[in-house]
Amino acid sequence: MSEPVIALNSLSKSFGNVHAVRQVSLTIDPGTIFGFLGANGAGKTTTMRMLCGLTRPSSGSATITVLNVWKDRHRVRTKFGYVAQRFSLYPDLTVDENLRFFGGACRVPKSELTARIARLLGLTDLAPKRDTAAGSLSGGMRQLLALDCALIHDPPLLFLDEPTAGLDPVHRQQIWNLLYELSNAGKTIFVTTHYMDEAERCTEVGFLESGQLLAKESPRALKESFRVPLLEIDVDPVMPALVRLRSLPEVLGVSLRSGALRIYAANPEELIASWRKAWPFPEIELLADRLVEPDMEDVFTAYSQRYDALLKKSTS
Amino acid sequence: MKGTSFSAIASVAYKEFLHILRDRRVLVLLLILPPVFTLIFGHAFEASEMTDVPALLINRDANPRTQRFIEIIEKNKTFRWQKTSPEIADEPDLLKHHVWASLVVPAGWSANLANGDPKPVILYLDGSDTNTATYLEGSVLKSLADFQLKERDAMIESLPEDVIELGKKLPVEIRKQFVSLMEAWSVEPKVLYNPKTRFIDYVFPGIIGLILQLLTVTLMACTIARERESGTLYQLMVTSLRRGEIVIGKILPYLAVSIVLIVMILALSWWHFAVQFRAPIALAVICFLFLLCSLGLGLLISAFSRTQTQAIQFSVFFLLPVFVLSGAFAPLEQLPRAIRYVSEIFPLTHFCRAFRLVNMYHATLSFYLVDLAVLLAGALVTFLGAAFLLKRIEE
Repeated sequence: MSEPVIALNSLSKSFGNVHAVRQVSLTIDPGTIFGFLGANGAGKTTTMRMLCGLTRPSSGSATITVLNVWKDRHRVRTKFGYVAQRFSLYPDLTVDENLRFFGGACRVPKSELTARIARLLGLTDLAPKRDTAAGSLSGGMRQLLALDCALIHDPPLLFLDEPTAGLDPVHRQQIWNLLYELSNAGKTIFVTTHYMDEAERCTEVGFLESGQLLAKESPRALKESFRVPLLEIDVDPVMPALVRLRSLPEVLGVSLRSGALRIYAANPEELIASWRKAWPFPEIELLADRLVEPDMEDVFTAYSQRYDALLKKSTS
Repeated sequence: MKGTSFSAIASVAYKEFLHILRDRRVLVLLLILPPVFTLIFGHAFEASEMTDVPALLINRDANPRTQRFIEIIEKNKTFRWQKTSPEIADEPDLLKHHVWASLVVPAGWSANLANGDPKPVILYLDGSDTNTATYLEGSVLKSLADFQLKERDAMIESLPEDVIELGKKLPVEIRKQFVSLMEAWSVEPKVLYNPKTRFIDYVFPGIIGLILQLLTVTLMACTIARERESGTLYQLMVTSLRRGEIVIGKILPYLAVSIVLIVMILALSWWHFAVQFRAPIALAVICFLFLLCSLGLGLLISAFSRTQTQAIQFSVFFLLPVFVLSGAFAPLEQLPRAIRYVSEIFPLTHFCRAFRLVNMYHATLSFYLVDLAVLLAGALVTFLGAAFLLKRIEE
């Protein structure tokens, strides 16, 4: 196995009494698309900012290509590109001027800059917008431009903080296709996201909850970390059933999926057997039931809601 | 600074320059405001003497001799007299009459003069501005002295022959002293450093300093605050740029713009107000250090503020006392000693002093070296302070 690109060793950050990130340790190998998942406020952005050398770790350490992310932050900065959560380019500058500025700021040699800008604009289909002010681009194009700016110095590693938040499906697709291309070209990608379908596209996924890393696996391995299959039922009417079922002690949680109810319970087989004998809600009709394999959304729910009874012990 | 790259600084400077260029409103403000301010302030402070002050003139002493005094006081350019009937009783009500002063010659005034019992004329003065009141009183006194001199000459002319004969019997020394005492003793003023006594020559550095400080501090204060507000500061920090490169790169375009503004103001004052400039190199050094100091201050405010709004507020809080206490428009010596120490911390104070020492006093370097040193120190302190605050943002 090759040397990891990123290595976190008990990395922690506190703001006063708030422990934003607690003792996170993980390694990420070259060429990985690492998806960093977690609810808002779970500590994803803080972790990413520590890795980028924008926030000093309270304790523990992290390295990027064996350089310490805080002590060697000026040298580390040539190794990665960073796309922030908010649009952080200059709206009054044109696409070309933004790229030229970040090229100069990242010390790209002048002789290479023009060719590199042309290649990046081609990659993101922004060439026709070259002389448009960045502020008048659409949300998707802004994000593509931010990606171009982050790639201007051809870094081996790319950090993206919710790059597709608020984008339409077409631009989301375009950005992910780009990320695949970059990964194919050997770049390592560290991306935070809320979207579970995006988590499926990562080669590895990490779950962060209240600043703690709960799991770090491939999406397949994560789905296999479920001890039991999930019970899905069709009922009528749906909404009252959802509310009633949640109050049952043997049900950990219920979620609505394409009109059916997905039940999180430690013993789904026993549960459905008992319901077939005696359905507890006379005013609601139980139409059908089946056992299904969990998807990433189920994994996220189980980890973030701490449904430990559903999960194999090995991961946490 | 190790690893500082000129091309990196140039990238930041060019980007900042584009920001100035793209913000059309600020650009227009930058180009229009300095000449307009120069013209307005220049004309506002052009005249050094008060003239045509509205005043009431009430003569209650109908007498040829009093009339002669009235003729003299009417020629006094300080006042624009409104003659009123002697019967009015509310002459102290200056506000009602829309005047700043009212002069009353009481009945029997001239008779008292003839009786060897001179009585004063009454002068009501608006004392709300103390300087004005004293000035007006002095002006009336001067007219009165002129009148007295003329009356004396007239009296000597009309003396009977035997009195003159009597006078010739006095010892020579006493006669000479007597003649001397009868003359009006005078001052021969030799005005130095501002021979034309034009106030504009004095106040001019104050005008430049005021305009420059206003523009540079507020504009500079917005630069880092704006990046902080829009989130681009973090984007800047994850590039290979060092703090020094960011700071220098941000200062350069504003320095260039300010130099253009100074030249513009100087050219306008030379052409329109005929202000003369001596020792251009010394003046250039003073202006340059003052600019560095102002930009440094703006940068410090910028690094200290979280938003542009805060940056503007801090700038105003800083600039307000500067305008009042820096001696830009009036000599610092008018201020109490304790306040003068406060004035010494403002760069504008030192700029005005050094500029005047060079341009009016033609002083040698030793006279304004301290001011140059203070400006240089101010620039260094503000730059280092801004760099330190930026380091804190980074952490």
